[in-house]
Amino acid sequence: MAATLKGVLQGSLADNVKNSKILVVGAGGIGCEVLKDLVLTGFKTIEVIDLDTIDVSNLNRQFLFRKEHVKKSKSQVARESVLKFNPDVDIKAYHDSVMSPDYDVNFFKQFTLVLNALDNRAARNHVNRMCLAADIPLVESGTAGYLGQVTVIKKGLTECYECQPKPPQKTFPGCTIRNTPSEPIHCVVWAKHLFNQLFGEDDPDQDVSPDTEDPELTAEAGQSALQSEAKTDEIGGIERKSTRVWAMNTGYDPEKLFNKLFRDDIKYLLSMETLWKKRRPPQPLNMTQLPSDTDGNSSAIRDQRQWSVKECANVFSDCLGQLKKELATQGDGGMLVWDKDDETALDFVASVANIRAHIFGIAMKTRFDIKSMAGNIIPAIATTNAIIAGLIIMEAIKILSGKIKSCKTVYLNRVPNDRNRLLVPCTLDPPNPKCYVCAPKPEVTVVVNCTRFKVGALQDKVLKSYLGMVAPDVEIDDGKGTIIISSEEGETEENNDKFLSDFGIRNGTRLKCDDFLQVYSLVVTIAHVEKLEEEKEFEVVGDLSELQPQEEQQQAANGSKPHNGGDKADEKEEEDDLMLIEEEEFEEEQQRMEEETRTTRKRKASSETEPTTKRSKTAEAQAAAGDNDVIEIS
Amino acid sequence: MAETKGSGLDKNNKYDRQLRLWGDHGQSALEAARVCLINATATGTEILKNVILPGIGSFTIVDGHKVRGEDVGNNFFLLADSIGKSRAQVATELLGELNDDVTGNFVEESVETLLESNPDYFSTFSVVVAINLHEKALLQLGGVLWEKNIPLLVCRCYGFIGYLRLAVREHTIVESHPDSALEDLRLDRPFPGLQTFCDSLNMETMTKKEHGHTPWLVLLYKYVQEWKKTHDGQIPKNYKEKNMLKEMIRKGIRQNEEGVPELEENFDEAVTHVNSALVTTRIPSEVQALFDDPCCTNINSESKTFWILCRALHDFVHNEGNGDLPLRGTIPDMTSDSERYIQLQNVYREQAATDMTAIRNRVHALLQSLGRDEPVFVDPKVSHSSPCGAVSDNEIKTFCRNAAFLRLVRCRSLAEEYGTNTVNKDELNMHLESEEGDDLLFYILLRGVDRFYDEYNRYPGRDNSDVEPDIPKLKTCLTKLLHDWGLSGTVKEDYIHEMCRYGASEVHSIASYMGGVVAQEVIKILTTQFVPINNTYVYNGFLQTSTTVQL
Ligand SMILES: [Zn+2]
Repeated sequence: MAATLKGVLQGSLADNVKNSKILVVGAGGIGCEVLKDLVLTGFKTIEVIDLDTIDVSNLNRQFLFRKEHVKKSKSQVARESVLKFNPDVDIKAYHDSVMSPDYDVNFFKQFTLVLNALDNRAARNHVNRMCLAADIPLVESGTAGYLGQVTVIKKGLTECYECQPKPPQKTFPGCTIRNTPSEPIHCVVWAKHLFNQLFGEDDPDQDVSPDTEDPELTAEAGQSALQSEAKTDEIGGIERKSTRVWAMNTGYDPEKLFNKLFRDDIKYLLSMETLWKKRRPPQPLNMTQLPSDTDGNSSAIRDQRQWSVKECANVFSDCLGQLKKELATQGDGGMLVWDKDDETALDFVASVANIRAHIFGIAMKTRFDIKSMAGNIIPAIATTNAIIAGLIIMEAIKILSGKIKSCKTVYLNRVPNDRNRLLVPCTLDPPNPKCYVCAPKPEVTVVVNCTRFKVGALQDKVLKSYLGMVAPDVEIDDGKGTIIISSEEGETEENNDKFLSDFGIRNGTRLKCDDFLQVYSLVVTIAHVEKLEEEKEFEVVGDLSELQPQEEQQQAANGSKPHNGGDKADEKEEEDDLMLIEEEEFEEEQQRMEEETRTTRKRKASSETEPTTKRSKTAEAQAAAGDNDVIEIS
Repeated sequence: MAETKGSGLDKNNKYDRQLRLWGDHGQSALEAARVCLINATATGTEILKNVILPGIGSFTIVDGHKVRGEDVGNNFFLLADSIGKSRAQVATELLGELNDDVTGNFVEESVETLLESNPDYFSTFSVVVAINLHEKALLQLGGVLWEKNIPLLVCRCYGFIGYLRLAVREHTIVESHPDSALEDLRLDRPFPGLQTFCDSLNMETMTKKEHGHTPWLVLLYKYVQEWKKTHDGQIPKNYKEKNMLKEMIRKGIRQNEEGVPELEENFDEAVTHVNSALVTTRIPSEVQALFDDPCCTNINSESKTFWILCRALHDFVHNEGNGDLPLRGTIPDMTSDSERYIQLQNVYREQAATDMTAIRNRVHALLQSLGRDEPVFVDPKVSHSSPCGAVSDNEIKTFCRNAAFLRLVRCRSLAEEYGTNTVNKDELNMHLESEEGDDLLFYILLRGVDRFYDEYNRYPGRDNSDVEPDIPKLKTCLTKLLHDWGLSGTVKEDYIHEMCRYGASEVHSIASYMGGVVAQEVIKILTTQFVPINNTYVYNGFLQTSTTVQL
């Protein structure tokens, strides 16, 4: 510790720094920088937690790791690297998920400050709740390419991480993926699903066969199509058998698989004529009769050259062979996990996605681009992380000097904005009194059809996935205290397949939902409707008064939108069968950051001191910029 | 890119996350770069760390200091057992561990000695980063690099303040990646290929499916032609006229038997795009300024490739281009059947390729006339700032695609900034008189503490006991400084107090922040992507504010 720093960190602050205990959540890009900055600012007691292991693609920025550390624990290697340079610091590393029950509110209470260096929304939500429960200040941060952001969260004083609704996670309707893809991403998602169907974990939501329940098909049309395919040969039979079992029985024969997926299934889709009235119909492919190679630029790098259909088919064959072998090494009941950094797994998805794109007349993509889409890769560089880490420490120092009220939300622009500012600091907003997390008595309304919505879906889709609980307990507020969901294993599993109405839950029923770990209680009021617009299964609203106008608005929107596939209007309309893309937090993070950087400059311009005219001009220019304002990926 | 020497790691994997920002050509430029750092302070090593990780070619540390105890306290790349050793050497060794694909060198000499003994030493670098230089050495170094047109980044962290100054005589940017750019569609001045394609489509005879899947670009073309017939061949110019055009388009939507309009999304899209797509194609003022620049009008055998390309571009505009830049050749996504979308895409691509060929021919003719058409071997390590013979097709292609985004940065020199008669008095005065919280006051204070150093051979408040007595001394220094500049204002006392309290200490979080900012500018300069900061940047760590100005 430099003696001169005593002067800069005034009075007791240097001691506060020395005596504080800091939790760093995440030892990735921001985490590595934060650990270094903490130690060199004089912090002596630090704990760091990260579930991840080190990957080669981390090495361009996570400077505490070397190539010999690849596949080792991030938190443990980070600790060792820092100690090598600064042996007189006390660092404790956990190679674990911060969402594990081991890290309860008492664990969080031992820290002076928590610094988030995370990359996904679920963990951010959870740490937000833990810090609210423990009443420990939290510095939250994120980066995406050249953009970054830091903010401070303190119970009762500021907005929490969940005070403002986040944009919904990007999903695609199942029938778009299975029947009517219109964009490259649809083919990429389908290819990843196929990987899982053939080699990975069986997930019924990731079916890759034609979907006869496409809402576009009238019941009639679907039925007749189904009948026309009433063949029971080994290919038709897979509708009822699992794709996996069928593929295994063929010995993962490339030609059989190819012709089933890209010829027979496509022919079957063609038989659903309604789908192709307003669309270009797909063109089935036969593996032995592929379009001949038009040798273009074969000298270019494999990664960045557009493969021909024939090449794709060859890659597909090779990958099947290799993946089959890999699967065999996993033993009986083993499975492979799709990983964007696994060469074969990526080759498989790239070839399959391109073949499917070709069939549907969609632009084919390079392996480099497909990696980006399939892995939802967000560009990441050392410089942005270093900048954001520096900002985090400055906010931490302000908190420790008792000046939390002067803390800021700071946005990092890509280049200085038109007012010559690289940084945009904004004052912290007070808590949203209607926040379903940090309000004194959090409440939400969940709109469902009680006779068709199951308890299991309430637990997994509403409470865990949407509302961010880890292990919910649910009791009906009926005076009898009927427990329908228990976090204790084996207590209420038999309820999962029952409908809400089976427990007398109906319009107006109040459910007391608790998460013991998060010390979080939420009252859910059920609003019963026969049918939700857009084929949705459920809807969460802050309070019932919000429901009515929204319904009207959406009906109006429905009426004015054609049902012919391919754009955002459709994504909204067919959310019956939502498919989540894994790791989409990255992309969403990037969008959020772009959005917030832009909107905040408008929304919070009042916290700065420029004249109004100039501000509205800026806003106009930004509005005109429109959709072009996305990160350049060249 | 697939080479695996050095680290033995596939660079496509190792650099995957950054290739998505600056591409292979950006990466190649980085890998060819030689970066020099003067003084391996915490800020200096942080900057280097952030350019070594993404893989510059090599770095060289010039530093005559020995490692002191206080260095170890705030610098991650110095160890306690390195106290007393050469700071250049220790930092080079530890930084070298970050990336086996990067070569590290060091010179254990002060910049003053080096400038004395071998002023040409710095001329082989792609960029030089100087930390905490005193005025005399700084101006001397600035002069040498200015002469060679080598970019110099001056950086300093002082207490909670970060400072950066870029000095480069001329920096040209092809890929400026503007935040918002309109599509290059030429609907106001359709090129023949676009005309032929659109005219070949007959809306009247189309099936319902074709009608509803005709790209909006085609619709807009057709309705603009309609409009022109009744408006002296002019496109809709203002808000009112554009609204009238929108109304025309809406009327084109087909109706079913009952006379109810069909749902045709492509028509909706055409209406939404009237404002953004129907713009006058023109040469951006920045590009026009390049055309008018003497470097473009008077090219010679020594001209940089950029200027030869500019000249070819200029000549194209006035000949084949009929007043327009080469077509960018890309179109946005839109509702369409894929056949016609791809056809339309090809129409734009083909015109772009034709334009590119015309420019390539002009480039080659120019090179030939300058006696430079023979492919000359160019050391890639120095190609960044030196003229070169051959120009690759890829380079020309990138240039054409970015023709509307070409940018030029010419900084003021350090000599001008420091010269009594050339100091940017007006800018400084504006900040001096502005309300509290102006970041630029800290620039004035930094100049003040330098003046203090010249007089007392130490920085103010270096020891805690000095803080109070140093305040009036620093105040006097500032008064003299402002007097020299011919300014009458004063700097508020609490700012002076704050500055004394900092005691020239280097706070690590500020060093980390500036390490990121300066490294990012280095990367912008080396890749010639994005427009670098011109020319001064000041960061106030306590308020989390920052400002960019030209001094
Ligand atoms: Zn909240």
